[in-house]
Amino acid sequence: MTAWQFGALLAWGVVAGLDLVSVLQVMVARPLVSGTVAGAIVGNPAAGVLVGMVLELYALEVIPVGGSRYPDFGPAAVAGTAAAAQAPLGEIGPGIAVGLLVAYLGDWSIVALRRWNTQRVRAAAVALDAGDLATISRVQLGGIVGDGVRAGVLTLGGLGLALAARRWPLLDTRGAHLLTAVLAGVGLATAATNGVRLAERGRGVWWFTVGLAGGIAWIVLR
Amino acid sequence: MDRPPLTAFLRTALRLLTVQASWNYERMIGVGLGYASEPLLRALPGGREGERYRGAMRRAARYFNAHPYLTGLAAGALARAEHDGVPGERIERLRTALLGPLGAVGDRLVWAGTLPAASAVGLVLCASAPAGVGALALLALYNVPHVALRVWGLRAGWRSGTSLAQALAEPVLTAGLRWVGPAAALGVGIALPFVAYRLAADLDLPAIGAGAASALGTWIAGRWLAPTLEGVRLGLLATVAVLLGSWL
Repeated sequence: MTAWQFGALLAWGVVAGLDLVSVLQVMVARPLVSGTVAGAIVGNPAAGVLVGMVLELYALEVIPVGGSRYPDFGPAAVAGTAAAAQAPLGEIGPGIAVGLLVAYLGDWSIVALRRWNTQRVRAAAVALDAGDLATISRVQLGGIVGDGVRAGVLTLGGLGLALAARRWPLLDTRGAHLLTAVLAGVGLATAATNGVRLAERGRGVWWFTVGLAGGIAWIVLR
Repeated sequence: MDRPPLTAFLRTALRLLTVQASWNYERMIGVGLGYASEPLLRALPGGREGERYRGAMRRAARYFNAHPYLTGLAAGALARAEHDGVPGERIERLRTALLGPLGAVGDRLVWAGTLPAASAVGLVLCASAPAGVGALALLALYNVPHVALRVWGLRAGWRSGTSLAQALAEPVLTAGLRWVGPAAALGVGIALPFVAYRLAADLDLPAIGAGAASALGTWIAGRWLAPTLEGVRLGLLATVAVLLGSWL
């Protein structure tokens, strides 16, 4: 990986991390999107798409409601793609595993950021209650900076993990192939479980079943 | 009533894009709402030095929580109430009354509907079209209704003021709530076989068998054995199992 690629991945990870909660929320944080772009940066779009696709199956489970906790899949897909960039498509399992680990750590980083924001809000409570615009702006903009730092540190750690996974692989090619299949299987079942959960009200299960049957029929008949 | 200039609405709309930036456990997105609403309050009688502006700002950054895309409804409605000279206690009550509905409607409409539906289409295209098409489709399908919802929310909030309940009964919104859940379920159902077929193309038969077994195990765990254990943790556990299996 060149220095330019490393820098571009880091910048893209920050953008994706910020998009999750703090800025825009246009869903460039979705692993399907962040993985695809990361694949283009490392010169292996197919690996980025596949890593992003598998992580997207896991991300389908996440409903980022209010104060709930959720993994950060944007920097995760960036790191996962970096780890899988030189592997054959059937051996991207270690990259997916790196992505899952970074997503999981991202969950903790978001909680830490929220606690930090809470401390800042407590410290500024009097000025906030008085409606002081300078304090309101400072707290708000500080949150963006804090989240940018969080996303940067997470992406940097993820890229470090990715480089380590490439340099010192823990699995041989057979193991990496098997891990790809196993993590794809877990992801598919996670998405299916979530599909049923999405559908459990009213006629939803019927719609999910129709979709599943239609998808299978399309694959078989085309 | 002096209507705020168009630039004030644009500033508020832009600031609403960062409404969750200071999310915290005490005021949740209250500070973000205060920051976003402020441009609409500058046109209050007396301007930024006036008592009306100061009173409105004192209320602006208190506790608030709602779906971020629908917070524009609250920003518009609360600012309109301030411009209409509604007493502070009634504005506080309006703010409190908005908490539940704006969260529930947004969560169902966006997080449990539009997002998984757009994601499902993206997955199908990722599995069957050239690289990049799936990601672009996800972004387009998601952001057209997303941006429309944000723009509509701010406008409808300002138009409605304290009568915001009428805006939430908008036919497009109620139809969306009725259909977006089934559309998401249908989409995820269609996407799964496409993704499985695409992923299997790079795997040999024993690996496909291992993948199928892990899918079955995850399904059983997710539905019955450990429904609170998320996919990410199950995936990490599976990784540890494969590592141990390959080393032993």
